[in-house]
This record gives sequence, structure tokens and C-alpha cells, in this order.
Amino acid sequence: MSTGRRVTRKPDCPVETGSQVAIEFEGRQLPARAGEPLAAALLAAGVQVFGRSLKYHRPRGPYCLQGHCSGCLMRVDGIPNVRTCQTAVRAGMVVERQRGWPSASFDAFRALDWLSGQGIDHHSMFTSSAATNRLAARFVRRLSGFGELPAGEPRPPAPVERWQRQVVVVGGGAAGLQAARELHRRGVRSTLFERQEVAGGRLLDGSDSAGGDGQGSWARLAELHRQLEGSENLELLPGTTVVAVYPGDRLQVVAVQERRTLVVEAERLLLACGDYEQVRLFEGSDLPGVFAVRAFDRLFYLHGVIPGEPVVLCGDSPRLLRLAGDLVAAGVEVAALVSGATRPPLPAGEGAFPLVPGRLPVRASGGRWIERLEIAPAPSEPADGLFDCGCLVSEYPPAPAYELAHHAGCRVDFDSACGFRVVVDDGGRTSNAAVFAAGHCTGAMSLEQALEAGRRAATGMAESLSGGSGRED
Amino acid sequence: MGKVIVCRCEDVTLEDLRQAFAAGHRDLESLKRFTGLSTGFCQGKCCAAHAGRFLAELRGGDDMVCDPTRTRPLLHPTPAACFAAIASGEAPDQEDA
Repeated sequence: MSTGRRVTRKPDCPVETGSQVAIEFEGRQLPARAGEPLAAALLAAGVQVFGRSLKYHRPRGPYCLQGHCSGCLMRVDGIPNVRTCQTAVRAGMVVERQRGWPSASFDAFRALDWLSGQGIDHHSMFTSSAATNRLAARFVRRLSGFGELPAGEPRPPAPVERWQRQVVVVGGGAAGLQAARELHRRGVRSTLFERQEVAGGRLLDGSDSAGGDGQGSWARLAELHRQLEGSENLELLPGTTVVAVYPGDRLQVVAVQERRTLVVEAERLLLACGDYEQVRLFEGSDLPGVFAVRAFDRLFYLHGVIPGEPVVLCGDSPRLLRLAGDLVAAGVEVAALVSGATRPPLPAGEGAFPLVPGRLPVRASGGRWIERLEIAPAPSEPADGLFDCGCLVSEYPPAPAYELAHHAGCRVDFDSACGFRVVVDDGGRTSNAAVFAAGHCTGAMSLEQALEAGRRAATGMAESLSGGSGRED
Repeated sequence: MGKVIVCRCEDVTLEDLRQAFAAGHRDLESLKRFTGLSTGFCQGKCCAAHAGRFLAELRGGDDMVCDPTRTRPLLHPTPAACFAAIASGEAPDQEDA
């Protein structure tokens, strides 16, 4: 079993390699590359425990690498609760872990986890008297607190700008970029907010192929960027996070940038905010070293980081086979590809790794990081296989990002195949006439379908703006 | 048997959900209020779908899951400094901010 290391990326990788710098991690100097996500640098340098969980002090590490989960929070340059996966490396930055006594790597309070079986029901604990309750509350707060207050002077308020725009697009992934392109083609001006510094979403991750014409997703993304470059109709703002939508006569969208806050009044809103990475649930699936497949894609394809070996991959899609093949080609040790399907999608790549059909992961174990993975024919059946595992890539349906639509009062429903999702018709219309949605925030789909949904929602929106009923019945 | 952690932010286990369901918490909002599910740093981004599946299975279908928990701004944890300059009822005024 080995900890993180760097491997060579594909020659056409669109992310440039930053210069070699040093960062300070709890008094130690660690090597890193300027501009890469801090979490990737820490994993590459062999850091495994990023923090401790709130109640049972279980080890925590990043699993989504998308800025959504709480696994990668650290104190960076005196600021607590910084998402290290969303923070670019700068030379000399000072990084510390927040929770755990005496340290995050070895936390004595983990004993709570060992002793508590399947959980502690805290509802009636320490409630015998008000005094006991107050004492216990103080103790528990200290035990589970979210780090220390920031060092130094508080940050001054960010300037607020109020804008008026006809069309706001949220999310610059496949659906959002394609929608922006369609709006541009139809002569409709739009403003696109993308949370990451580089737009692309799934097109950027590197593992999805945009299908059909044999064109890779990086090439497809470059083409979309070329088509949009210099467009007078598109105001593309990367590094901008939309945090709220307020419905009303005119929608108000609140977007936050590093140095300013935008309150935007919009006539129409197109939500293409994607989804959140998930992993399959089983005993120990929260251990560090268990990664969602797109998180692993980003580490490997974009940043050339392998967080641990041997790698076990669990899932059914052909893309996982492609990933396994690429790992072997890069010299990474792959222990197995475990597929729940009884008939796997494609034959294994020249026997470079065992392909195990008809099995699901049921238990992960290890002290501070995953070390072993047990598999079984079904979650309820006894395990009949065991792998040494330094990193688990877990494919599971991502959960649509339905929240902004919910803010705007749009109808949301539940689908076991993905989770809560924005309800739309064929033209991307939601139950709020001013709000359209496309792509993975409306449910599970392929990359090709997301591109098409983006185009259709933009078409529907353009029609609704030109004064028609907006419906083509 | 060890723990199956459904909500990583608040350490809510599958067993916690089972006990809450048995105690009568049969919709997501109620489960959330009883167990602390979805109330942590990620605000349910990593557990709401899992909890929905748990309810769908026990209640007999996706239609029975009903609504997600009430979503409120902010979608992502955001420094207070980003909002300190937005006074309530303040007239639109950007250039001199």
C-alpha cells in the first residue's frame, strides 16, 4: 500500500503545470505546484487525514474535489474552514488541520467511535437537569467546534454592485456553455456565472468522451470556447458563485466573487448548475481514500495525482474501464474493477487487472485511510472477496443541484436514479415561467444529452423573450 | 457491524435514520430536524439524495418521498464580508460602493 504520488498526465491536458513551490503544512515544508488545488498538492505529498468528523472524530478527507463536501476543510493562512480543493496553491501558504486532539492524525476522541457501535442517540443525554445540560453543551461544543476564529483583522466588506441583465445563465458546464452558444447564435445577450476559474464542468474532467463523432471532451471544450470567444453577446464570468435566487416580479440573483458581490436583476434565468458527486453508501464508505469518480478523474487527468495504490474501481459504466486502462498505461497499480452488473460492459484491457462482475463493495476498513475493501453479491449477503486497497474509485449517480431552482419556487421531484431534481419539459421550462433549467441539475443524463438540453432550453428561452407564447405545440 | 455514515458533516448514521423513522419521522424535513441530517457544512449536498432513497424504499416509491427539505440561501458557505455592505432596504447604488 502506498500513499499519494504524481504521475505523467496526457499530452493534451488543458491544465498547465505550475512552477514548483513549497507550502508550510503544520511546520513542515511540502512541495507543491503553484496554481493547483491545495487538496491535490496535499494528497500528492502523502497527507491522508485532512480533518476529523464532528461527532465520532472519524478521519475525514476530500471525496468530491468540487467544493461541495466538508471533507477537505483546513485552516489556511489564518482563515478557518477553507475548502482546500477550491484553493489554488501559492508559495509559502500556511496550512493547518483544525480538529483532533492531540492531532488530526492521531485523535484520542476517536475512542467515541470505537465504543459507540452503530451510533449514539444523543436526544436524551445529559438532560436530567438544566445545569448538567449546560455543562455538557459546553463540553460538546469544544469537542466538535469548527476551528478557531480567523487570525488578524476581519476582512473589510466586499463592494456590492447592482446589475440588470436580460438573461443570466448559472453554470458553465456542458449544458450552460452550449446554452450560451445557442443564445449567442440567436443574438440574445447573456451573462454566464461559473463557479470554477475555468468553465467546462464535465467537458473538463477528461474521462467523458463527447461521443458520436469520436471527438474527445477536451477538444469539444476547446471548440466551444473558440465559438464563444470574443462574442459580444456573452459576458462570461468564471470564479463567480451564485449563492441565492430570489423570485419576484424580476428575479434577483446573488453572485459572489473574490473581491465583490453582485446583485443581479434578471428577466430570465437559465440554471445549468450541474450536480454533486456522490459515493455508494456502505460501512466505512466515508473513509479517506474513497473518491467519487469525477473527483478521481480531476486528480488523475487534470493534476496528475494518484492519492494511493493499489486502486480499486467500483461501477458499471464503460468510462470506468477507460479510466482503469488509462491508469495502467500511466503505471498505476490497479487491484480490480468491481462491477455490480453480472455481465460487465466490455472485456478487461488485456488482463492488466482483474474484472470482478456481479459484486458490490460492502465494507471498507482502515485506521486513517482505506486499506481493505470487502465485496459481496448483494449488500445483505456476506462478503466473499477482499482486496488490499489504497484508493477506492466509487461510481454512483451524482445528485442534481436543485437548490437554486427551489429558491425560485420551481417544482422539484425525487427520482431514486439520481435524487431531487428540477422538473422541466422538453424545452427546459420549469414551473416558474422566468426560469429555465438544463443538464444534470434536471436529472441523470449523458454528456451528449446535456449539450442537447442546453441548446433546447436556450431555444425555448429565446422564443419566450421574442414575445411568443414560448411553446411550440 | 460498524457505522454506515449517511451524513458526513454531522455524522448521522443509517441506524440513526432507521430509529428516527421508527419513531415517526417519515418525511425528510422531520428526519432532518430529529437527526441533524443535512444541517452541516454541505447543507445536504452529500446526503439528501441518499436520505431520499432511504425514504423511498421504506415508504414504497419515489412519489412517497415528497419534498426536499426547505432550501434557503446561501447555497454555499460564504464569508459574511460578502454581504456586510448590503443593508436591508438599501436603494440600488453601486458605483460608490
